[in-house]
Amino acid sequence: MQTRVISLLVEDNPGVLTRMSGMFTMRGINISSLTVSPCEKPGLSRMTVTIEASESELEKVRKQLSNLIEVIKVVDLKEHDAIIRDLCLMKVHTKNVEARTEVMQLAESYGAKIADASFNSIILELTDEPERIERFIELMKHFGIKQLFRTGITAIARD
Amino acid sequence: MAGKKLSGAEIVVEELKKEGVEVAFGIPGGALLDFYEALQQAEEIRHILMRHEQCAAHAADGYARVSGRTGVCIATSGPGATNLITGLTNANMDSSPVVALTGQVPTSAIGSNAFQEASTFTITMPITKHNFLVTRAEDLPRVIHNAFYIANTGRKGVVLVDLPKDVQASKVEVELHPEETFPGYKPNINPNKVQTKKAAEVLANAERPLILAGGGVISADATEELRTLAETLGAGVVTTLMGKGAIPESHPLCLGMAGMHGRIYANRALNECDALLALGTRFSDRLTGWQLDQFAPDATLIQVDVDAAEINKNIPVDIPIVGDVKLALSDILKWLKKESIREGSVWLQRVKEMHSACEECIKDIRRPGSSVSDILIKELNNLLDDDTIITTEVGQCQMFAAHYYMTKKPRTFISSGGLGTMGFGFPAAIGAKVAAPDKQVVDIAGDGSFLMTCHDLATCVENDIPVVVCIFDNRYLGMVRQWQELFFDKRYLHTNLGITPDFIKLGEAFGCYAERVEKPEDLKSALKNAFESGKPAVLDMIVGKEDKVLPMIPPGGGITGMIGTERCRRV
Repeated sequence: MQTRVISLLVEDNPGVLTRMSGMFTMRGINISSLTVSPCEKPGLSRMTVTIEASESELEKVRKQLSNLIEVIKVVDLKEHDAIIRDLCLMKVHTKNVEARTEVMQLAESYGAKIADASFNSIILELTDEPERIERFIELMKHFGIKQLFRTGITAIARD
Repeated sequence: MAGKKLSGAEIVVEELKKEGVEVAFGIPGGALLDFYEALQQAEEIRHILMRHEQCAAHAADGYARVSGRTGVCIATSGPGATNLITGLTNANMDSSPVVALTGQVPTSAIGSNAFQEASTFTITMPITKHNFLVTRAEDLPRVIHNAFYIANTGRKGVVLVDLPKDVQASKVEVELHPEETFPGYKPNINPNKVQTKKAAEVLANAERPLILAGGGVISADATEELRTLAETLGAGVVTTLMGKGAIPESHPLCLGMAGMHGRIYANRALNECDALLALGTRFSDRLTGWQLDQFAPDATLIQVDVDAAEINKNIPVDIPIVGDVKLALSDILKWLKKESIREGSVWLQRVKEMHSACEECIKDIRRPGSSVSDILIKELNNLLDDDTIITTEVGQCQMFAAHYYMTKKPRTFISSGGLGTMGFGFPAAIGAKVAAPDKQVVDIAGDGSFLMTCHDLATCVENDIPVVVCIFDNRYLGMVRQWQELFFDKRYLHTNLGITPDFIKLGEAFGCYAERVEKPEDLKSALKNAFESGKPAVLDMIVGKEDKVLPMIPPGGGITGMIGTERCRRV
């Protein structure tokens, strides 16, 4: 089992998402992350799907997805030849000045933006590779994360 | 035809005419009133009123399998559409080209739990090759054109078009008969030349070549190529249930159906071969058994399928070929002509011997140890002509037929393979008879299966569709009972069907010819009476209550582990 990132070019019709996700449901595969958005071609969308699957499962899923009429292209993105990004928004406890200073310093060193701040908390925004985001989250757990939102992975292949 | 204002319903009908639809099986309803008004205007299209939507779908499926053309079924919104589901799933699993048209509540009411509303679009997504919910009449020409294109190209299947009431009624100005298709749909038809060459080399050099013919051979109309290749190579041919008829079963190289209820030597050949060419088959578990180390262990495996998703799905293959079976076989034959083919091999002799052993058993009608069910099917081989179309229900009757009936021609053995739908055979026979009115059509039924869809005897009588239903009447759900007998210590739980109905009275109540066949000896005259009556007919054939389909691979077993082979001659 390994994390797999699949990029799909699909027609932007109602039902495409259900059709696509149904393909995974039928095989008992859980989608761990999913992003959908318009792309450079009018009438088409791009989906980035992340799943945990073996090589053979991935191969089956890839072929089945290609069989869907509204799916135009299926690419499984290998980590080394793709730029993979995730966006994370989190609200972190800052119960005193020390905590606040430390959170802000760490945020800076990770390149996270301070999106908003109140007396008790700071909202941080970080766009990065999923692994770096994981590490940043681990760090922030020491201060107490009130809420955490992630968009899920989006990815683009290198030339 | 630009510039003309047509209602959505009229557009659909115009497109159906353009697709050459000559018959549709359906039931109207509140959400289809506009459509039926428009359909009435099209004299080219015969509408057959069914008595249950499941039968409409099965009839369209049967029509498609016999004719090769796309079958059309129609149902109204809500319960009409949900009743179609079994039939559509069945057709899609067996890659049968069917287009289903369903009524839907008006677009403004969709999602409001309106009267007779069901989300047909969502429900049918996983059981169709593709489906559409049409929300604008302007989209109809493109949708209907593509529904037919998708259903009957590539790996064939079911396409459903959901038609809201207001879309049928609204009048729009559109260009009819578009050619535009979908950018994401490009069936892989042309096989790779490198791969077909490799396949030809492996087959030419094999000592024990075998061809496994699936339903894809019939659906691609590749039966001539299959036969030529088998004869050129001196290869044996075994079939799947769906592949029955891909080669005449009387052909000396044909070993018949393999798998769980297949012929012992078909399975033996699969175990012994050193090169296996699998054509249009998905290696279902009913074919391969469950001990995969017994399935072609020494063979180089070549798989040809038009659906890339089938390659390597259930069995790993050595030489995958994605493409149309007919084209792939033509290519392999072209490559082979340049090779030298060895004649009269030891394997060829063995194949012929195995064929003779099976044929001998089938011709020996009253072979000691035969059950009444065996005898009846063996008798049918002599009583029916080669063009007769057999449809089957599901269970023992189906497997008796698959095992003992000698199919001679493609598209004459119609059975529910993937889904295993009881109640399929009779409505499929209706579709078959409509597709081929000059041929005899016989449904090999069980009493359990037939009761699931027998109400459509009314359809047969009203529309003058004289099919003959041969009920293997044992008053049991026979196949389940057989399993209970063999594997559950004879605890016949809920498989005894009791004594009702009287199938003679049932047939007569609908206006059919009906006769009871108490003994196999009476079958000949009963069949003759049935055909001569010119009416739909019900033959109630009394079989042994505990007849068993044997030999068989027990659950969990492999293809060399068949039980009940005592009657087979050893070769």
